Amino acid sequence: MDDILYLGFSVLKRYNILRYISYLSFFLLIFITILYYPKGGKGAIKKESVDQCVVCHKDMSSMDDAHQVEIFGCAVCHGGNRWATNKKDAHRFMVKNPARLEHASIFCSKCHKEIVKRVSKSLMNTQSGILNVLKYQWKESNSLNSTIGIKDIRKSKQSSLAEDHFRKMCAACHIDQDEKVFDKGMVKRGGGCSDCHRVSKGSGNKHAKFSTKIPTKNCLKCHNRSNRIGLSYIGVFESEGYGTPYKNGNFTHKMSDGRRFYYKLPADIHHTKAGLDCIDCHTEKGVMGDGRVHKHMEDAEDIKCKDCHKAKFKKIDTLGKKLLYLNGNITESNIIAYTRKFSTPLYNIQKDNNTTLFYRKIDGKKFNLKQMKDKPYHSLLIHKRLDCSACHSQWMPSCYGCHEVYIKKGKQFDWVSKRVTKGQWQEFRSFLRWEHPSLGIGYNGKIMPFAPGCQVVGTIFKDKMVEKFHSMAMAGWDPHTTQLKSRSCEDCHFNPASLGLGRGHLDIKNGKIVFEPIYDSNASGMPFSYPIDAFVSEEGKQFQSTSRKRARSFNKSELYKIVEAYKCIICHNSYDDKIYKDFNNSKKLFYSGKTKCLK
Amino acid sequence: MFKIAVIFLFSISLFAKSCIDCHQKDANRCKHSIHYTLKKAINITREIWGVKDSNVTYQTIPLSKKSLKSVSDLVDDFLRRKCLKCHVSIKSSGERGMKRGKNCLACHTKHQIGGEFKKSKTPMKKCLSCHNKEFIGTDYKGLFPKDYDKSYRAPLTKDGFFPPQKYGIDFHHLSQDIHFKKGLTCASCHSFKDMIGEKKVQCIDCHKQIAKKNHPNYHKNISCVACHSSWGVYSYELSVFRDDIADYKKWKNLTLQEDGYLKNFLKRALKSKKKIAPKMPDWVLKKMKRGIWYSGYRYRRWEDLYLANSKDGKVVLIRPLFQYRISYRDKNGKMIVDDKSGIAGKKIEGWVPYYPHTIGKYAKSCEECHVNPLIMDKNRKTQGVLSLKKPENIIGAKSLTKEQIEKMSSKKYKLIRAKMFFNHY
Repeated sequence: MDDILYLGFSVLKRYNILRYISYLSFFLLIFITILYYPKGGKGAIKKESVDQCVVCHKDMSSMDDAHQVEIFGCAVCHGGNRWATNKKDAHRFMVKNPARLEHASIFCSKCHKEIVKRVSKSLMNTQSGILNVLKYQWKESNSLNSTIGIKDIRKSKQSSLAEDHFRKMCAACHIDQDEKVFDKGMVKRGGGCSDCHRVSKGSGNKHAKFSTKIPTKNCLKCHNRSNRIGLSYIGVFESEGYGTPYKNGNFTHKMSDGRRFYYKLPADIHHTKAGLDCIDCHTEKGVMGDGRVHKHMEDAEDIKCKDCHKAKFKKIDTLGKKLLYLNGNITESNIIAYTRKFSTPLYNIQKDNNTTLFYRKIDGKKFNLKQMKDKPYHSLLIHKRLDCSACHSQWMPSCYGCHEVYIKKGKQFDWVSKRVTKGQWQEFRSFLRWEHPSLGIGYNGKIMPFAPGCQVVGTIFKDKMVEKFHSMAMAGWDPHTTQLKSRSCEDCHFNPASLGLGRGHLDIKNGKIVFEPIYDSNASGMPFSYPIDAFVSEEGKQFQSTSRKRARSFNKSELYKIVEAYKCIICHNSYDDKIYKDFNNSKKLFYSGKTKCLK
Repeated sequence: MFKIAVIFLFSISLFAKSCIDCHQKDANRCKHSIHYTLKKAINITREIWGVKDSNVTYQTIPLSKKSLKSVSDLVDDFLRRKCLKCHVSIKSSGERGMKRGKNCLACHTKHQIGGEFKKSKTPMKKCLSCHNKEFIGTDYKGLFPKDYDKSYRAPLTKDGFFPPQKYGIDFHHLSQDIHFKKGLTCASCHSFKDMIGEKKVQCIDCHKQIAKKNHPNYHKNISCVACHSSWGVYSYELSVFRDDIADYKKWKNLTLQEDGYLKNFLKRALKSKKKIAPKMPDWVLKKMKRGIWYSGYRYRRWEDLYLANSKDGKVVLIRPLFQYRISYRDKNGKMIVDDKSGIAGKKIEGWVPYYPHTIGKYAKSCEECHVNPLIMDKNRKTQGVLSLKKPENIIGAKSLTKEQIEKMSSKKYKLIRAKMFFNHY
């Protein structure tokens, strides 16, 4: 086509006199061009048009439809010399993975400047949430508000115990990790933007595929340890490591990392019922950051249960339109939902007459979204302090006792400096549970499920000395094991494990809560005397710390209030029961003998 | 220790003569006792593994079959090589905590000290040399076996050593039995008659006057232990696998399988550069034989609780003790039995009445049974892999009837419970 175009132009130039003919041919050419100009899709323009790179990299495929190699060429993203004809010159100053954040701020930023900036400040890049909580829990810092990140410790040669632990155990999941450092058989993480956005690997002349429709499996590369949200969501619980039952002479239920084992528990209802992926709820602002530096995950998090299940609708804005258009699978609509926190458009939640429609982002499948019912179980004032997860989360991965062993003489790979350095960590544990997660006051001041996070009993081998330290903490989070049916009344109101007392025997004697724990920490070799699964004593004394300012266990009056309510629950075990409409008044009536109770 | 060893050696040489010479009668009684025949354990296992009309004892258990084709062929091999090593006539494998003599000396040791005869009350140590791990015995001391994986060998001791192993594994320390705390040993309650099965000891033999107030009529059919025990060892689904080929590498994190021989064997096999043939002793024949039995649980709990009706009309605790999944790979690497969990539509499973010796200070609260999802919840959906837990094939007891379960959440119960609460406030 270009040859003809060129020919046309040259004819026009050379035979100036033959204007009419040339004009005619020019219009004819334009006509032909319009006729043959393809409407989007691959191979629209001849490949030679952009870079010289394609001389060698023939038939290179595009990373996605938005970044077609025929239009962008290679050098826009990868750098190098696009006009050079030999390999050496062409590859000078070229980067293989421009999605690494250091490169992204040059290459990706040409178009996505604002996003790259946001990601650089997000917790997935700074990892300051992990680092600061770790330093706080190990008593190396007094503040939970510090924003020291991986960047700040990268240069320092001396590292404290917590920093060394972070370097060797945590930093592997840094979003900007170098993918090359992972051995064969390990799950490759990092790579900057490509950590999440790359959906398939490239090889030869096949460019790696990128997408904004990020599959859950990409999130699971990292979100499978610590509080294990990603695993819990798909109903996978890291098991005790038996690998039973044995099949074909081998272990079963092995995780993809090849080292750990699991068993299947009920997955989150969003997964089982609708097959939702992480990105169906988690917005781009919530995941990539909103441009501000945050201290903890929950500050950066955008979405709340309410944003979908009690959606606030507004007219679609430009960002919403843009995202909707880019998705391509979702029907257009004028009225969409917005998150309450950052007002991010939830373009996949739309209002259609009286029904709320939900579209799956990856394939555009349509669902009728149930809105929260205004029934007593949601509207009663006595439960107004409850987070959704307090009732609807059926189980929670709880790993009791995290026994860290540090051998100073040993050597281990440092994920920050990317070389083997002195000091080796090894992890042990006491026992696992998933049932009856304990409750407490969470980071948002609401009641939510708690699990160990983390109960560190450390042993440090220093030269010839052995030192011990311990830092016991519980953490509250939404375990992402949501079920339609909530926990039963007595599972919270009269279960010692749920109340945070630990496993044991609870009863009421002479107006007092009596509790006999089962676990004997001292005899089990722990350096403390309270049971390892006890968050709080029956006297309301909090045993274990938390890593948030507002987070704490129930106090004495709360414990007594919860258990006292159980007295009524024995008979009145339904939310619809009229005594709960004004519970304080009902109790007054009861104690003044004006009710028919117990007669 | 030295003293015992001397006595032990001395007694062995005299055993045939001296013990029986005087105690002919006792020896005969002993030979018919369950301690000697191990009838119950052998026959329950054989039956649920698919051997029909099983009625053998330790003395008459058949040799392992030469051609192993099915689960029922494997059972005698399994018993001989995993279970029967605890029989009193077999020399202990010598693991820590499991050292003991043979025959009479398995239990009785301090019979003769310095020429003077003394009445020999069996020390608890001797009982625990067999009655340990998931069996009743070590639970009396508050010991709950830890999981097998390497990552459970924690917390490290003050000097930086792994926690001490006893009975082939290390333990969580849970609340001890109140009788243990007060200094009673096994023999304080379990007499000779009890031991050989002539008369079973019961709580009320000692605790004759129980307070009427706290033991109301409606609970008169409930065994004491059901309320007063504090916890138990509930082990779900034991996968066992006999492997006849040398394939040890994958077990490197699971060398501790509550089996001292296996631990040492795997240690040796994993270290050595030569190929070591998989061999494990037939404890009864006292001969090494090809094949290693590996095992692993699904998971274990101490806080669970199940009820059933026993034969004598009491409501007792039950637990899964024989939930098997069985595999066998022959020496050519062919899977003969691959993860078999049922025979002819019936699970290879046996729940048995359970009397954990973990008596606590307080009895359980009403709620621990009356609103326990493990007992009351028909769907058992709230707790995940609960399909495993539903008691089937209860041996020596029957599951609770529908009426009983309905009664447990009846209005009458609720009223009584509520009154109890309000009176206490």
